[in-house]
Amino acid sequence: MSDEPIVLEAHALAKRYGRRNWALSGIDLALPQGGITALVGPNAAGKSTLIKTWIGFERPTRGSVTVAGIDPWRDRSGALAHVGYVPQSPALYDALSVDDHLDLAVQLRPGFDRAYARQRLDELGIPGDQGARSLSGGQQAQVALALALGTRAEILLLDEPLASLDPLARREFLHVLTDAVHAQGATALLSSHIVTDVEQACDRLIVLGVGRVLLHDTVADALSTHWIGTASDLGAGVEAVASFAGPAGERLTLARTRRAGAIAYGLRRATLEEVVLGYLASGRGLPSEVAA
Amino acid sequence: MSRLGSWLVLSFRLHRWEVLASLVGTAVLAAVMLWLASQLRFLAASEPGCPDPASYVGGGCEQFAQRFSNLGDWGRQLLLVSWGTPFGMGLVLGVPLVSREVEHRTAGIAWTLSRSRGWWLARRVAFLALVLIVLLAALATVSEILAAAVLPTLQLDSDFTWHGRRGWLIVARGLAALGIGVLIGAIVGRLLPAMLTAAFVSVLVFVGFSLGMDRWLEADAVLVPAMNGNAASEVGELSLGWRIELLNGQVITPDELYGRDGNVNVNEDMDGRLYNSPDGTLRPENIIGWSRELLVPGRLYRQVVLRESAVATGLGLLLLLGAAGVVARRRPT
Repeated sequence: MSDEPIVLEAHALAKRYGRRNWALSGIDLALPQGGITALVGPNAAGKSTLIKTWIGFERPTRGSVTVAGIDPWRDRSGALAHVGYVPQSPALYDALSVDDHLDLAVQLRPGFDRAYARQRLDELGIPGDQGARSLSGGQQAQVALALALGTRAEILLLDEPLASLDPLARREFLHVLTDAVHAQGATALLSSHIVTDVEQACDRLIVLGVGRVLLHDTVADALSTHWIGTASDLGAGVEAVASFAGPAGERLTLARTRRAGAIAYGLRRATLEEVVLGYLASGRGLPSEVAA
Repeated sequence: MSRLGSWLVLSFRLHRWEVLASLVGTAVLAAVMLWLASQLRFLAASEPGCPDPASYVGGGCEQFAQRFSNLGDWGRQLLLVSWGTPFGMGLVLGVPLVSREVEHRTAGIAWTLSRSRGWWLARRVAFLALVLIVLLAALATVSEILAAAVLPTLQLDSDFTWHGRRGWLIVARGLAALGIGVLIGAIVGRLLPAMLTAAFVSVLVFVGFSLGMDRWLEADAVLVPAMNGNAASEVGELSLGWRIELLNGQVITPDELYGRDGNVNVNEDMDGRLYNSPDGTLRPENIIGWSRELLVPGRLYRQVVLRESAVATGLGLLLLLGAAGVVARRRPT
């Protein structure tokens, strides 16, 4: 674990909708300051719910969360002062232009850096006088990102902003994000179910499935310690994470070890997508509820 | 652009259609009212020999009075519209404020950007309240001008004629309707269902408000003799309804009388005496009391308008506080 201070924390976090539907089940997480963390998982894994508890949109059923040490449900304004947020579908005001959105942010948020946000949009060639209604999905996402970056918040929470973007728009979005995060020294949590896109941009990886954290590691460690293949004998001291169907229907086993020499013949290093798939497969059998 | 200017421009753009609809509607209504008032005044000035154009006074004034009455009827209709305008405008401006943000998912960005949701709501409500107050104040003024033109011989500042259709109560009722609209919009979170719900709720609130104010005014009202439920006093007083003064001096409402005895059959003679006579004959032994009407004197008009305006404004502020509470707790989608 890094020595950096913890900026996002969840302790025994559980969130239930209705009487039985547990979106999150006993989440324990501590994200250190700096870098981009990918929050990966399938639909209904609880990614949005987790992010929404950090911005005070959802109240934990059990457990607690903090943002920069502040409980967002008890002190939402205090917590949000540290956060820039990009929602799942960046819904902008149809009646406003791009520059109007920046002006609105100036009015709503003390210290909003309009020039910085404008500069980010200028670099992408998004004109200020263009109506939000006429922007493409990618441009809308960029405006939402510029609004979040203009807050100069030390924590950026991005709730699947890539989901509806084409590959080029995704790449541009990630480029702007990584540039800004590294320039500002901010901490970003980017939820997505598109693993390949986040692989290059992110420093850390959280795999979420059935409302639980299945893996939390740096991307570099996740890649260096996971192996995959069809071998049934993995070798001594090698932990089998899960088995799942490969692209040709073969049975693949994801293995984990820090001792590369212990790996049996026939195994190769896993890609990040395979690591994620393996951990998602490992979560299938887990119950989606927390014990009372 | 200054911060104030920027706030005004952005607030207008966010509420463009409802503000324009309110503005155009009020402007057209006020223009027609002013035109009609000028026509009535011109007509009255053209016949100086007919001092009271609102009544048939003989002496060759009948034709003039008829023309004046015809125009005055239009004035009465317009004043009825001015009675309903604050409710319509309050809902049109208030309901979309939160409900559209939630429905269009823009609340997610706005509420995370803003220093607090209360701050966000206060800024938005302030603009809409400003628009509503300016427009309804203009309508309130114009409605007084029209009422004075239709009834030129009355002192309308001490007269309850067309109470609620003219004057500052229009503005106060608009603020109450705005509060209802914002609160219901925040609770429902979808524009059309919220609009329908708010319209229904505002009818209930208005009925409750009227009943409550009538009860409050009873303390200031006087009991006067009445015949067939109508007071034999001059116009300009506010009637709180028919009452029955029993032989023992107790004053009750007709509902209370029928509640005591469902079989009672009340008949009234020319002097306002009330009889319980199943067969319709008016015998002295069947007298149960006298017909009375509860009236608020016209001299209290300004005081009553001030009181009702304060209550309506207070109600509006209370509802807006409730809306702030809902906004603070609700999900943005």
